[in-house]
Amino acid sequence: MIGRRLRFETTQATEFVDITDRLREEVHRAGLKIGRLHLQSLHTTLGLAVNENEPLLLRDFQVLLERIAPEGAGYEHDDFARRMDVASNEPVNGHAHCRQLLLTGFTTVLVEDGDLVLGQWQSVFAVELDGPRHRQLALQLDGEFASPLSPFSGEGQGEGRGRSAEAGPASQTLVELELARQLLVDPEPVATPMRRLVEAGGKRMRPRLVQLTAGIGPRSEPLRAAALAAAVELLHNATLIHDDYVDESTHRRGQPTVAAAEGPERAVAVGDYYFAKATRLIAEIGNRDVTSTIAEALEAICASQIDDVALRGAFPGDHDSYLRVVRGKTAALFAAACASGALLSEAGPEVVDALRRYGDLVGVAFQMADDMVDFSPSSGKPVGLDIRQRVLSLPLIYAAEDRTVGPEVRRLLAGSLGDAEVGRVTDLVISSNALDRVRDEATALVETAVHELEAIELDGLRPILISLARSAVDRTA
Amino acid sequence: MSIQLVERDLDRLESLWEDGLSDAYRSYLEAVQAYEPDAQPRLALAAALIEIGLRLQGLGGRAAAAPTLLMGDLCLARSSRLLAGAAPQSVQIAFARAIETLSSAAASGSSALAPRTRELLLRAFEAT
Repeated sequence: MIGRRLRFETTQATEFVDITDRLREEVHRAGLKIGRLHLQSLHTTLGLAVNENEPLLLRDFQVLLERIAPEGAGYEHDDFARRMDVASNEPVNGHAHCRQLLLTGFTTVLVEDGDLVLGQWQSVFAVELDGPRHRQLALQLDGEFASPLSPFSGEGQGEGRGRSAEAGPASQTLVELELARQLLVDPEPVATPMRRLVEAGGKRMRPRLVQLTAGIGPRSEPLRAAALAAAVELLHNATLIHDDYVDESTHRRGQPTVAAAEGPERAVAVGDYYFAKATRLIAEIGNRDVTSTIAEALEAICASQIDDVALRGAFPGDHDSYLRVVRGKTAALFAAACASGALLSEAGPEVVDALRRYGDLVGVAFQMADDMVDFSPSSGKPVGLDIRQRVLSLPLIYAAEDRTVGPEVRRLLAGSLGDAEVGRVTDLVISSNALDRVRDEATALVETAVHELEAIELDGLRPILISLARSAVDRTA
Repeated sequence: MSIQLVERDLDRLESLWEDGLSDAYRSYLEAVQAYEPDAQPRLALAAALIEIGLRLQGLGGRAAAAPTLLMGDLCLARSSRLLAGAAPQSVQIAFARAIETLSSAAASGSSALAPRTRELLLRAFEAT
């Protein structure tokens, strides 16, 4: 039995947060092959539901809840004069409690073949009834787990398994152990904020790519691969800590950012410490090509971050600028993760080059999908954050170019962006075909990435790399 | 020693050259005499970039504004690339450890007690 907490932030008073992908990720990370995932709300105004993620249907649900338990309908719970021990910040939320009674506070999802058992149209929702708030759910996973020492792989089974164990829970566990081990030996003032960030989750795409590609060449050493993968993840997190300060972000992965929680001075120091530590861990592996590959990516990330901030003066920017920034800011480390894993395994140069191109394309597609999440109320992330922070975003660029909504989008973006403006821009983007264009473009990039893999020998890892590429853009459902 | 050799590594950082980077660079040149002639300018520049980068970021003091912090980040990243190409593994590790020492001191509020940046970096060149 494994117990965990799933933390997230809501942004609306009533909100259906689709947590299916995060639950799926928890099942994969735990290595649960067959069993049950139990889920329990830890709040009296947060319910759970299994239903279809269709925006108009979610509106229907919301209207239904509002009709049955309307706000301000004279709830006795809201009569503070008659209640004992009322906190000074007690919200008027009798309606939210009553609505929660109509839902459930706990549910169980079955797991088979290492994945959630859900029908084609089923998604799991946490239903916010009194937001926006920080929320958490308790999870318990029980059943038959892959042994950490066995090469079980939840993906790519049946079709050319080869070294697909490199992608399995056992190797992912190695990375988690390596991350925990590294954080254990660091001084607390730097380790504590980084541990909070690492333990809050993240998709671990970059370390997975390192581990996968480290199984391709003739020299496959899982422990060295895990050390490199953990270092790449630390490096990624170090860049996020500085990014969050630059973007003035208050939360990441449902947790306060280092800058918000402990101040910018600590954020600068923690980012620097893990930048240095990650580069040292990579240097200690002793492969100069790997060290250079990661160092070049890091330089591209920093240069693009400067461009990104500079371009905010011309917000929302254009497609070419967007691609240039994203190639550096996001795709460079994806490409380096793929190339460095392959280099570590002493794969041939044609394989390294193809994987580098694959990583670059997947990285760009991943960022496009991430941009779309900003417009998805059920993603678990605050809607419109990119607009508010004037971050480069392809859906915004396309909406600004749109003949119908473009003039209004550009006018709104040129002014100050309060809640009303952000909400209106969000609606305009959703009503245009911008999200469809971005989705099509990301999907096309993934297919090009998959095409890059066709001409090289991948020792059975092709299905997993294809699956991973496609999952990079399949994050908005 | 030719400064021409390092100018290609100053892309985007040109404005820093007259603003302390060239002085720092020259001060490290003597420490790299034991290395291959081709590597010497890049090693000296790598050390200078770390010194200037950390100063720009405001490490151990008041955090820099976002654009300045990003310039500092680029200095550190450029330094990392230069070291990866020109420094022995032991020196790469020693440089990283120097930044770890300085940043952990800054995080714990004990920067005043930490060794000076230049002192640490000069010592890093002696790592074997």
